[in-house]
Amino acid sequence: MIPTILADDELLARQKLRQMLFEDKEIELVGESGTTSETLDLVRRQRPDLLFLDIRMHGRDAFDVVEELASDADFPMPTIIFTTAHDGYALRAFEVHAADYLLKPFTSERLKVAIRRATLQIQSRLTPPPTHQTQNGINPYANRIVFKSRGRILFLPVSSIRWIGAEENYVRICTEGESYLLREPIGHLEEKLDPQLFLRVHRSSIVNLQFVKEVRTESTGESVVILLNGQRLSMSRTYRSRINEWLTHS
Amino acid sequence: MNPAVFLGTGALLAAVFALQEWVEVRQMSHHINFTLLLAAWGVQYLLWGAICWVLWQFFGPKLQRVSWFWAIAGLFPLSILLSVLEEMVWVLCFPNLPLWMPHMKYWSRVLFQLRAELVDGLVIFWCAFFLFRGVGYYQRYREKEAAAAKLEVQLAQARLHAMRANLNPHFLFNTLNGISSLMRSDVTAADLMLEQFSSLLRICLERGEAQLIPLREEMEFNEMYMAMQDRRFDGRILQEICVQPELHDALVPAMILQPILENAYRHGLCHLSDTGLLKIEARKENARLRLNVLNSGIGLNPECSKDSDNHNLGLVNVQDRLRLHYGANQSFSISEVDPAKVLVSITLPLQLCEDPAPVLAEYGA
Repeated sequence: MIPTILADDELLARQKLRQMLFEDKEIELVGESGTTSETLDLVRRQRPDLLFLDIRMHGRDAFDVVEELASDADFPMPTIIFTTAHDGYALRAFEVHAADYLLKPFTSERLKVAIRRATLQIQSRLTPPPTHQTQNGINPYANRIVFKSRGRILFLPVSSIRWIGAEENYVRICTEGESYLLREPIGHLEEKLDPQLFLRVHRSSIVNLQFVKEVRTESTGESVVILLNGQRLSMSRTYRSRINEWLTHS
Repeated sequence: MNPAVFLGTGALLAAVFALQEWVEVRQMSHHINFTLLLAAWGVQYLLWGAICWVLWQFFGPKLQRVSWFWAIAGLFPLSILLSVLEEMVWVLCFPNLPLWMPHMKYWSRVLFQLRAELVDGLVIFWCAFFLFRGVGYYQRYREKEAAAAKLEVQLAQARLHAMRANLNPHFLFNTLNGISSLMRSDVTAADLMLEQFSSLLRICLERGEAQLIPLREEMEFNEMYMAMQDRRFDGRILQEICVQPELHDALVPAMILQPILENAYRHGLCHLSDTGLLKIEARKENARLRLNVLNSGIGLNPECSKDSDNHNLGLVNVQDRLRLHYGANQSFSISEVDPAKVLVSITLPLQLCEDPAPVLAEYGA
């Protein structure tokens, strides 16, 4: 069970979220608050693992709450999911390592995704992450990307990316069910992605190795990468050796 | 106007007259100092230049508006006074003139000069006056013309805004109605539709007043719209979107495709009980952008389109907007392609947005 607090100054918003959270057996609601000072008191008293925080509340900014909680180094910082009707704060939310950023109104599906991410964050906090730490202890690669798509703000974990295709000045990021267009050179994106997980197979494509089923050479001599879902991506000679290297190592 | 214009004109006239007199005197076989001539004419016309500048600077607008009665009754004495004063100053500057005459006292010289030059002075004054009036008329004409042009632009803008407003409420209330009906039968679906609808509203609000937007944003909106429609059709419609990558930044009128899509759903796809096809295609053709919307259905049924006049409002609106934006440099066509498919095709001049707005994208742990 995850001890959770709801903070929103609108009664109806709290009511909706409360009803949605009742359906989730993992969530244990330990309190609700309507102002920033109430929230601070409540969080300090209850020490929840998860905090749903509305950005605009009576009193001060929600970021002040985060700052004040963080100022006490001994206090266990809860994982935060921001909820707001306004999308102007996404980057700040991202900077304070929020698990997700929900734009109201949201569906229960969207809420489930957010809770799953928060759960992962809570678990990884309890057991320190063993993966891909460099010598100085800082992972130089991105674990998530934040961007705006179709009127939503997405905090996309890179592990959910299947492959990335370049379209002129844009890249198309493909996940299980959706694709997003981002104005970014593919080379720039490649630099941000962990080479242990992602491989450039073509001038215009990068694949997530976790979703690669096989690499095949066609009768025409052309090499293709086949993903778990059957999607085929062509591979150029220059990148061929790199995937061979990876295949032999794993 | 800059005083240099007046003084420059004075100096130019002075040079011309000085040269003319010098030539005349030479023809009569007399000799005369050209520098003296130039100085005499120069002072004369520079004085007039200064007077004209003062008149323009301090009384310009009044002179341009004064009635003809007052122009004559009030300005005629003024013109004489100014001419006399000008000659008095001039005579003061040249005590040795006129040449080849016995020396005279100051006032006799002024009188002598006035007899010869008073008419010239009056002519200069009135010429300047009429010139000022002319400039005034011209300026007012230009202002009127500029105002008319501005008005035309404003009118076109207002019409475009009105058209966009026509699109939005129609779409808005249809969607709300759809949500309202879903609320009774399928709460989850209603919830999802509300979420999608808020995304659409966010996109629209963010777009603000912009009339031309990148195709990428237009397609983002259409994808959302199609996702919403998809739910109503239980995924029976195969949606296909092909946009050439170099066209993501091409500028198109905002919400130009939505009425076409709406039309495709309402008059084509909704008649199908089986699977259907809706395809959007953006292609570059030379220096032009072609947008195609193809949908399966019942083809173009002339009777069907007659009985409900308002359904074509959306398409008429699209055509009007294309005309307002691009004049004759655009095309719109709707045709039936075999079998029972309808193709709407638009072409417009290809413009790429110069400075695409930065897309919010950050990387982090």
